[in-house]
Amino acid sequence: MTIIQVCIGSACHLKGSYNVINRLQNIIREKKLDSQITVKAAFCLGECTKAVSVKVNDKAIQSLNEEGVESFLNAILAEEGV
Amino acid sequence: MSCFIDVGFDSINKHGEELCGDKVEIIKGEDGIIIVLADGLGSGVKANILATLTSKIAGTMLRQGASIHETVDTIVNTLPVCNVRKLAYSTFTILKIYKDGRIYSVEYDNPPLILVKDKRITEVDKKQVEINGRMLKESNFHLQEGDVLTIISDGVVHAGVGAILNLGWQWSNVADYIGQISKVEKCAKNISKALIDACQNLYDYKAGDDATVVTVKLRRPEVIDLFTGPPKEPEEDCSVVKRLVQGIGRKVVCGGTAANIVSRELGQALDVSMEFPDPEIPPIAYIKGIDLVTEGVLTLSKTIDKMKAFIFNPSVYTISKSEQMDGASQLTKLLIEDCTHLNLWVGTAVNPAHQNPDFPSDLSIKGKVVEELAMLMKQLGKEVKLTYI
Repeated sequence: MTIIQVCIGSACHLKGSYNVINRLQNIIREKKLDSQITVKAAFCLGECTKAVSVKVNDKAIQSLNEEGVESFLNAILAEEGV
Repeated sequence: MSCFIDVGFDSINKHGEELCGDKVEIIKGEDGIIIVLADGLGSGVKANILATLTSKIAGTMLRQGASIHETVDTIVNTLPVCNVRKLAYSTFTILKIYKDGRIYSVEYDNPPLILVKDKRITEVDKKQVEINGRMLKESNFHLQEGDVLTIISDGVVHAGVGAILNLGWQWSNVADYIGQISKVEKCAKNISKALIDACQNLYDYKAGDDATVVTVKLRRPEVIDLFTGPPKEPEEDCSVVKRLVQGIGRKVVCGGTAANIVSRELGQALDVSMEFPDPEIPPIAYIKGIDLVTEGVLTLSKTIDKMKAFIFNPSVYTISKSEQMDGASQLTKLLIEDCTHLNLWVGTAVNPAHQNPDFPSDLSIKGKVVEELAMLMKQLGKEVKLTYI
């Protein structure tokens, strides 16, 4: 199970975490990945300059925007081998 | 802890007038509160001046310990004489409310005060006093927890005259209405707003006279401790959270970092909701033992917008019926209805998010937002304590 934490702190919220979360959830639903990937909201991850901050499992925090969601997910899927 | 004197007041201006001819003056003192409601003769500028003079003179003199006799005498001799009516005239009601619930009231030509005691309209014994040829009504009585006392200007009783109703509604109808809403509404401001809203409707939004309502309610103090922003020194985290948890009131945490600190110090999980009831406001979160956890500066500034709408827009009085349960709406409801004493614990550590050049500049200084919140709460008559940590 892969857990994606999306920061919804002030800076990330302004940079569009709402859209990022929606997009993530939509793609996961379309591709029926619910059993493999869980999306969670998180309060400030402490990397406000990287808004929108996203954390996959315990890996380093990355920066993500709405357009990048699809390739971001593909990268995870490739890495996890699912 | 003794009861809290919750005061709310609202006015509408006569249709087409920029100034209100009614004036409310509220003076808080050591032993209680003095409230003066003055209704100047006529409307517009002239009435406004008469009412302002009356309420200011009465408020200032009574606070300094002058007798009611001296005060009325001064008012009568000071007010400018109206050119049309050759009169110097403003009606008024004065309330002196002591912390233990004792009330001293003086009424001069305003509609009688409305007292709801034990959920029933109760008559007050009044004594006629003559000062300089003017008849005043004086009374002494007691308020207990939950009792609601309302004073109104005649524009309230006349609401609807010539529009929806031939004779307006009568004092007894106003009293019944107050009796009904007192059962439902918890805070004084909601009661005064509801009554003013009813007047607006009866006048069909074209008020024929200035109308003012002042509501006083004795209620049990309700404390809210609100913690926002990380303390300047991280070593303080532990003691701040300890003090927050030891407080007797409700606990609110506004801010991602602050929430993380509380979660860590309490050893309780921080569970962030994925629901966005309003896409503009970040979701809330849950920590066991904390009544409300929200994001920081965005939620707080939205809360301020909502509070301003509630305070300054007479037609918005339905804050508690709001279906929206986003963080800002929940916080607004808590602060307006369920709070008499607000303790703000404001961390002063620099937030990297707010140093981002793309961040809207008016949000960059959270201190400003918090100060504005404190000011609005004081305007609502709440006791506010601001502590920087």
